[in-house]
Amino acid sequence: MDSVIVIGGGLGGFTVVQQLRGRGFAGAIAVVDPEGLPYDRPPLSKEFLAGGIDAEQLHFVEPHWFAERHVDVYAAAATAVDLPDPADDDGRAAVTLSDGGRLFADRVVFATGGRARTLPIPGGDLDSLFVLRTRADAEALRSGLRPGTRLALIGAGLIGAEAASAARGFGAEVTLIEPVDPPLVPAIGRELAERLHAMHTEAGIRVVTAAPVAIRASAGEHSIEFADGTVVSADVVLVGIGIEPETALAEAAGLDVDGGVLTDAGQRTSHPRVWAVGDCARPRYDDGTLGRRAEHWENAMHAGTAAAAAMLGQEPPAPTAPWFWSDRYGVHVEGVGDMSAGETTVTRADASGRVQAAFRLAPAGDGQRVVGAAAIDGGVAVRVARRLIDRGIAADPARLADSSVPYKQLLK
Amino acid sequence: MSQPINIGSVDDIPAGEARVLDGGDNSTGVDISIFHAEDGNFYALDDECTHEEASLADGFIEDAQVECPLHAAAFCLKTGKALCLPATENARTHRVEVRDGELILYPGEPAPTQD
Ligand SMILES: Cc1cc2nc3c(=O)[nH]c(=O)nc-3n(C[C@H](O)[C@H](O)[C@H](O)COP(=O)(O)OP(=O)(O)OC[C@H]3O[C@@H](n4cnc5c(N)ncnc54)[C@H](O)[C@@H]3O)c2cc1C
Ligand code: FES
Repeated sequence: MDSVIVIGGGLGGFTVVQQLRGRGFAGAIAVVDPEGLPYDRPPLSKEFLAGGIDAEQLHFVEPHWFAERHVDVYAAAATAVDLPDPADDDGRAAVTLSDGGRLFADRVVFATGGRARTLPIPGGDLDSLFVLRTRADAEALRSGLRPGTRLALIGAGLIGAEAASAARGFGAEVTLIEPVDPPLVPAIGRELAERLHAMHTEAGIRVVTAAPVAIRASAGEHSIEFADGTVVSADVVLVGIGIEPETALAEAAGLDVDGGVLTDAGQRTSHPRVWAVGDCARPRYDDGTLGRRAEHWENAMHAGTAAAAAMLGQEPPAPTAPWFWSDRYGVHVEGVGDMSAGETTVTRADASGRVQAAFRLAPAGDGQRVVGAAAIDGGVAVRVARRLIDRGIAADPARLADSSVPYKQLLK
Repeated sequence: MSQPINIGSVDDIPAGEARVLDGGDNSTGVDISIFHAEDGNFYALDDECTHEEASLADGFIEDAQVECPLHAAAFCLKTGKALCLPATENARTHRVEVRDGELILYPGEPAPTQD
């Protein structure tokens, strides 16, 4: 292997580059992304939207990092990928760029992420609706927020809820529209989901529990309509209802795609010299079954590391339970593992008696194992839970719930 | 180089925990955390995570590493090396010595390392 083209410079693509160099790869590396230098996305719905940090602070590393490591960054989109015959060991892939350029390499990585899903209702495709995936999206949304702006957020998952919190600082009048009450139960369990969802109302945000059926726009005003005839009027509308993996290019290149570019544990696709990482990739296990596509930061970093290791014939890091975080209203939320698996939930209260951590348990042998956990301002609880899950340590529900037992003691 | 500071007995920091020495009290102006690793050794790093501003003293200490409480960047306690994203900058280390059961911190003086 002497050259790699990474398509997409989000977290997944950047990690591949960082790990390839960190693991000693000295060949040519090109990163192709219309957004230019790689930057981090979580702050887009948090500090960056709120105006607390600037665009430079979003970058993973300073621009000179790439030059010093001889990594070429092309600020263009890849529009076509021509792959060589898999049997031809010397064949090279050709990547065509939106500026007409063409790059050649013997390895290609798809790290194209996802695009915001559109609302499948009349008016759901209006150009005036905002989504939040890129720096430009966040800048555009921020520039529309002023005291008194009527902001409607459709979707109270991670991005909608974080944007609601950030928008408060602008004195906007925020309405949060979400059919599920409370959202996020599959991610963090009911107990914590309820506590978090209540924070919107406490912060003065109007919460509408219903699904919109149509959106109309006229003279700069949006009318969001519901089945019962009610209407929410808004100046600015942000739709945050999840993503679709960006797989068109991979599909056109002939890779196996099914709700994501299919990959093995080393992030290898159906072509032996092509890898896929992050939000665009979906695991296909050795027995052929398909896993769930992850859309979290840590998954993209882990996948980027695994891909770089596999490309170099090195041992990939051991898989760990999936983990994510979210920040809103000054609290930090984390979840690990699978809160919808297992059979019972054990909670632990914080000093003021509120639920701080929830652990999901499944029977294992003659005991119980933690399969998922989540916490609000309880990072150590989640770090410990992650180790309990990864190491398959038996859990004692009474000790999990007992706030006089330090979390770290649970590992002993 | 600043004066060494006696920061108390080794027994004040249980294994697997850390204490913060306020920037105003350590002459560097930056909070420093002193970690008692489970291998029995003591280490000191700038307390502020190089990613954002989380306090590393609140992190998870294991295998002579600290995992940041916010986004799980890991730092080597011995060298300050940033071991995983989102941190890309190393943490500054400070020399700590144990003398007659007391912890002596040399604020601003990098920890001696073999590598
Ligand atoms: C606003 C926001 C907040 C988030 N907050 C959190 C959080 O708090 N916690 C958490 O765990 N996760 C969070 N996430 C999720 C996390 O950021 C993603 O899972 C992660 O960024 C995925 O990395 P990726 O590299 O797969 O994709 P992305 O980071 O989306 O990067 C994909 C890149 O591919 C590029 N691309 C696409 N098509 C092409 C093409 N044809 N040619 C060239 N380049 C192309 C895009 O321009 C983009 O830069 C958040 C995401 C967003 C958008
Ligand atoms: S603040 Fe430490 S990892 Fe983000």
